[in-house]
Amino acid sequence: MGVMSWFKYKSPFGLAFAFQRITGIILLFYLILHLCYLTSLQSRELYETLTSITVSRQFIIFDSLLILCGVFHGVNGIRIIIHELGIGHELRRVVLAVSAIIAILGWIIGSYILFMALGD
Amino acid sequence: MKFVIRRFKDDKSFWQSFEVPVKKGMTLLDGLFYIRENIDPSLAFRASCRMGICGSCAVKVNGRPRLACETQLSKFKKEIKIEPLDNFRVIRDLVTEFEGFFAKHKKVKPYLIANTDYENPIEQLQTPEELKKYYIFTLCIKCGSCLSVCPSSATLESSLGPAALVSAYRFNADSRDRGKEERLKIVSESFGVWRCHSAMECSEVCPKQIEPAKAIQLLRRETLR
Ligand code: HEM
Ligand code: SF4
Ligand code: FES
Repeated sequence: MGVMSWFKYKSPFGLAFAFQRITGIILLFYLILHLCYLTSLQSRELYETLTSITVSRQFIIFDSLLILCGVFHGVNGIRIIIHELGIGHELRRVVLAVSAIIAILGWIIGSYILFMALGD
Repeated sequence: MKFVIRRFKDDKSFWQSFEVPVKKGMTLLDGLFYIRENIDPSLAFRASCRMGICGSCAVKVNGRPRLACETQLSKFKKEIKIEPLDNFRVIRDLVTEFEGFFAKHKKVKPYLIANTDYENPIEQLQTPEELKKYYIFTLCIKCGSCLSVCPSSATLESSLGPAALVSAYRFNADSRDRGKEERLKIVSESFGVWRCHSAMECSEVCPKQIEPAKAIQLLRRETLR
């Protein structure tokens, strides 16, 4: 069955598990890419040309998606950790709903701050 | 009501529909018996107690595991899709192989390990508070629903799975038991408690609502003590 069996979820909790894996893998992939990118910026000119492309309005959609992945992964990760401490299993629906709300708020606020910081 | 059943016969799998007349109070299991008795005697399914006690009759209903005998047909509209449980090998139609599941259960020594003196037996006393600590986990009927939805068990067959770990916790939390160390050693191995990734699907589908995911986490904590 392999990787596809991660997605045979029956409940929102199984879906959260699948997303936790995917966002974790995306974050790991991004981190590697990010480090490669940064280490490649060896001169001032190169730094300025490349960052003028990536730090821009066209790229903000990717930045926003990255924030979503990061915020979801972090908040859902904390939700999992709470339950792994043996706490709140009976309240898991409420905990999941609260986590989802926090993740969405975090995503909106993070994207807004980024958008503002970028200026024109 | 239309019963759409996933059938497995001679290595072939196909969907087959049956029309079942539904009466008030009828369960899914009644419907399956109706088909076997009136339409197709070759339909294979497992059931025994018909009252949610034996755990034989779990099947996948519209994608979700349920006990056929405890599932009222009035819950559904015109059509109902029935398949065997996932993560189990299908023997025929809705009947799955449970040998492996029971072997996993056996592996965690699901019985009281006590230094009983059989020559001079004494009563093993327990307070109601001590009973409360594990009582809910005694309600498991080994229906296999939890294992059938566990993503860890889907990707790693040797993974012990929720039901076996529930049993391990049930006996470890029993004040009369003296086998904790043995069991903790077994469940801390690579196929045990650390294979759980808290997808919590088991707790969602357990027909006895015993929260297997919680038992696994409590057991995990014990292995770290
Ligand atoms: C706020 C910080 C973070 C928290 C609280 C967190 C928490 C978690 C948790 C609880 C899991 C689930 C483990 C499991 O399935 O048993 C997980 C999985 C994962 N995390 Fe994170 N994480 C964080 C940051 C990161 C970062 C920055 C990366 C990438 C560089 C990452 C990569 C992964 C990967 C690849 C998985 C999948 C592993 C699996 O499903 O077992 N995480 N994380
Ligand atoms: S823990 Fe629940 S779902 Fe799993 S075998 Fe026991 S009764 Fe069935
Ligand atoms: S027939 Fe025994 S649990 Fe359903």
